[in-house]
Amino acid sequence: MEQGVLVPARRGGLRVFLRNRLNLLMAVRVTVIIVLLAACLLTPGFLSEPNIMALLTSVSFIGCVAVGMTLITISGNIMSFCLGATAGATAMVFVVALNWGGIGVGLVAALSLAALLNAAQGLVIGWVRANPIIVSIATLALIYGVAQMFAGSSAVYARPGTGYEIFKGKLVGLPVEFVVFLCVAAVGHFILSYTRLGRNLYMIGSSLRAAEAAGLKTWRSIAGAYLWAGIFTGLAGILLAIRYNLGNMDFGLGYDYDAVAAVLVGGTAIGGGQGSVLRTLAGAMVIAIVQALLLLLGFRQEWQYLIAGLIVLAVIILHTSGERR
Amino acid sequence: MKLKTFLRNDPHARPLLILAACIVLLAVADWGEGRFLSATTPFSMLQIFANGAMVALGLGLSMMIREFDLSVVGIFAATGCVAVLTGEVNPWLGIGYALAIGLAAGVIQGLIIVRFALGSVGVTLGGLLIFVGVAYVLTESRTVPYENLPVALFVNRPLAGIFSLRSLICVVVFAAAAVVVGFTRVGRDLIAIGSDRRAAVIVGVNVNAFIIGVFAFSGFCAALSGALLSYSLASATPQGLSDVIVPAAAGAILGGVSLGGGTGRPLGIATGVLILAALRSGLNALGAPPFVNDIAMGAVLLTVAILDGPYLMRRLGRIAPRPRAGS
Repeated sequence: MEQGVLVPARRGGLRVFLRNRLNLLMAVRVTVIIVLLAACLLTPGFLSEPNIMALLTSVSFIGCVAVGMTLITISGNIMSFCLGATAGATAMVFVVALNWGGIGVGLVAALSLAALLNAAQGLVIGWVRANPIIVSIATLALIYGVAQMFAGSSAVYARPGTGYEIFKGKLVGLPVEFVVFLCVAAVGHFILSYTRLGRNLYMIGSSLRAAEAAGLKTWRSIAGAYLWAGIFTGLAGILLAIRYNLGNMDFGLGYDYDAVAAVLVGGTAIGGGQGSVLRTLAGAMVIAIVQALLLLLGFRQEWQYLIAGLIVLAVIILHTSGERR
Repeated sequence: MKLKTFLRNDPHARPLLILAACIVLLAVADWGEGRFLSATTPFSMLQIFANGAMVALGLGLSMMIREFDLSVVGIFAATGCVAVLTGEVNPWLGIGYALAIGLAAGVIQGLIIVRFALGSVGVTLGGLLIFVGVAYVLTESRTVPYENLPVALFVNRPLAGIFSLRSLICVVVFAAAAVVVGFTRVGRDLIAIGSDRRAAVIVGVNVNAFIIGVFAFSGFCAALSGALLSYSLASATPQGLSDVIVPAAAGAILGGVSLGGGTGRPLGIATGVLILAALRSGLNALGAPPFVNDIAMGAVLLTVAILDGPYLMRRLGRIAPRPRAGS
């Protein structure tokens, strides 16, 4: 869309320059980045190591889910309500399989569950064009029901010494979670930019009819998008389980909304067909930085939803005004 | 013969059919022990109905005009907290504040959508996050008790055998909505906007006013049921995001509203929510553990989603001839 092209200002200076929507957007983006940077530098304690580490860790969980959500949004399926529940369920399965057969079994079992759960939804959505929102809500209810059947409402705890501890701590000075998140973002970006699946997803998102007329098997691409979304979300669930040494359905609570907020703040269009993983990365970072700043400035934790909502609303009004869906 | 054509052709027949099937199934599962088919079941069914029915109505109406009001969940939580926090001494004041906030939220979101020509999912997602935030900030993440117990009891006291004040209000709101949508021009205009917005504009429907109106109504409904539920539970909590959206969307969809817009009516939504309420109260009465309800609801919803899939018939048609072509 308006990515990166700066339309040169003609006579009339700043006002004419800003009247063009693209220039206005660019100006707002630059201003936001400058203000955020200044706030980061001026807020005492922000650049301290513990704060940066905490920030990078917390952004990673939601970031992984948000990268998955980006694929779903770009493919024109708006959002999934069950990614949070997928993360919770994956964490529980990971811990159970870990206790049973060690780290390898845990990873394989957890990731295949997450992938299958979402790929199945993608198949239903792509093949019969069932409504994505309803399918994800139905799956949400099913996941919670099944999880309760097996585990009640309690958590499962990881046995120490099963080998998952090696994933704690730091890698090249960064939290492992953040390294995984960067890898997820890289893979997501690669899929969208350099593979046929990615190109098909953009096409399906901008016009399903055109994609079908061009002979795409749209259901395959949509199932692919959900499959990858499941894997990325599953990774978030595993990271959560490793960090807290347990699996719990509460892990995923609210992640769907946080993830889609990151997607939208990054500027990916809710209607599909436009956007990128890098934007989502930026969106997730902006939300996380603002929340960390507020916390340091003495606002209570409760304000973070409110602030995230205001940012989402502001970005959406700025970004998409004038072009309906 | 007439019944058969009614069942086949009227889209509003399906919710009734599912409801009947659910009741029959539950009655059979009960096996004549009188746990489901008892005098208390209608009352408990209506109580559960009243929990989320109005949220489903607001959401369903927004779906009818081809929008999607996610913010109902946030408004529901936030206004519940507001009502409990401000209505300690005078419950009317609490309800008043809640309704005012709900209405204002709906109008503001509607204005933003209309003024900036935005899609409703994004705007109401912003609204959802803001109101969940408001709920957390107001309650400081705690569950707030409502000390005015007489009000809590009064709201839930049985009236005329099967109703309580809460479910009666709910029924009245639904009846009013059904009359307005079914017998006035408003209803036809709503369907017209949902089916083809451009055509609706051309024939002179004030689409913008309708969008603002529907979002205002939906905010009002969410606030009313949020406040009443908090009073009846004698507490309010900022949590419970998924507890509301799942049954609300499920009720609307089961009731024959489609996300594509242009179909549905309030009585259908009521039937859809009643199906869920019958499932829940029936399973409770049969002593089934709570997760059965989640699984049943998910399964029913998924089935309906697949049956509603626009490509279903085409896919099935494609599968069927294939063996013949091969032989």
